[in-house]
Amino acid sequence: MAASFRRVLLGAFAVLPMLGALPATALAAAPDATTARDFIKQSGDQLVSIVNGPGSNQAKSAKLRALVDRIVAVDQIGRFVLGRYWRVATPAQQQEYLHLFHQTLAYNITNQIRAYKGVTFAVDGAKPGPEGQMVATTVTRPGQSPADVQWVVDTVGGAPRIVDVVVEGTSLRITERSDYSSVINDHGGEVSALLDAMKQQISRIAAG
Amino acid sequence: MGIVKTSLLSLLAVPVLLAGCATPPPRSNQAAYEAYRQQNDPLKPANQAFYRFDNVLDAYALRPVAVGYSHVTTPAIRQHVGDFMNNMDAPAQLVEFMAAGKPRDAGTTLVRFLLNSTVGIGGIFDPAGALGYRRVYTDLGLTLAGYGVPEGPYLYLPFAGPSDLRDAAVLPAGLFLSPTAAAPPSTGLTIFNYGSDGLGVVNTRANLIGTIGNIKKSSLDPYATFRSLYRQHRAAQLKTINERDIATPPAWYPTKERNAMHPRPYGAP
Repeated sequence: MAASFRRVLLGAFAVLPMLGALPATALAAAPDATTARDFIKQSGDQLVSIVNGPGSNQAKSAKLRALVDRIVAVDQIGRFVLGRYWRVATPAQQQEYLHLFHQTLAYNITNQIRAYKGVTFAVDGAKPGPEGQMVATTVTRPGQSPADVQWVVDTVGGAPRIVDVVVEGTSLRITERSDYSSVINDHGGEVSALLDAMKQQISRIAAG
Repeated sequence: MGIVKTSLLSLLAVPVLLAGCATPPPRSNQAAYEAYRQQNDPLKPANQAFYRFDNVLDAYALRPVAVGYSHVTTPAIRQHVGDFMNNMDAPAQLVEFMAAGKPRDAGTTLVRFLLNSTVGIGGIFDPAGALGYRRVYTDLGLTLAGYGVPEGPYLYLPFAGPSDLRDAAVLPAGLFLSPTAAAPPSTGLTIFNYGSDGLGVVNTRANLIGTIGNIKKSSLDPYATFRSLYRQHRAAQLKTINERDIATPPAWYPTKERNAMHPRPYGAP
């Protein structure tokens, strides 16, 4: 039990920094398998070339954040993660939440660049899933066992976007939703408690 | 990985259950009540106490040892240690797959155990995996789950981590399925048991150093995050076993009928 749980954790958090958190259902039809596969291949190649390329961590981090904004449906993921509390939140809270959500993701990316130096990945195949095309990849970091990572690709705003990451059967957006909703539940259903916790976390990470 | 964990577990199980239960919110507060029901964690106060206990234990004992261990080992060594531990689990898994009515996986487990114990020098190497007999995983909790036993409320066990009522209830039974349980008792065997249990724990923890640190750093409520990860992972393990469980059509069946019995091509995951 412990050994396999280890693999989940390893896998799930191998990709956490790349995605930060996770998506919402799109009305448009999911892209077909080839489109999704090519999209993941291209996105992954760009990501790997930035991480393993030259430049300071600061410069890399800026490039990565720009890339992530292009390939990941961050707003949709943020809404999914907030779940039913999205409707409870006031419009101002929704705005602030999405802003913090983007910020958390950016900090996670910056913090993890060094750990991903030397990363390689291979696209294994794609099959349709309930939330979009599931593209299977193998992500390898030096000194670590390879992790099987599935990227869920859906059509968002007319283009393919990553809406979730699944590692060993654990979905990053669902995990993140449990995390956030637990904070809100523990504070009497107040969305403001979550926003405070997110701010605290960001300032903690920023402080190093 | 059983003896140490389970003997400590049984010592602590009773006070856990006697320790506080969470007070459910009144049914009149529908949203809060629904959230409570979905968490399915009625023992949350006790669970959280054990979660904190394990964290302290980890910070002062297990993690430092694991950090030292990972400095003196390579990923390859840790892989072989992991393979050895997995091989020790194989006889139990053979029984569990048979009990669950999964002959294909039982066969894979048997071949793996025979090959790895001999050619693989007691399981330190995994030649069976190289031959295409990739590791399949099960445990008693999943066997019960296959029979439709629900997971029950979430439990966080001291020394053993995330669990649920179903999985925790069968932990002691798992001990009797270990190959060392069948051997005649001796001091040497006892030392081996504790040694291999300890090594397994440290080896696992060493592979998780970055991961657990990341979870704790990046989640707002690590307790809830581990709970969610555990449940999702167990559900996925069960799904994987069921997806692999396909009939073996006799070789003399016409191709068309063979294909009809297989929703997916042979060998596909």
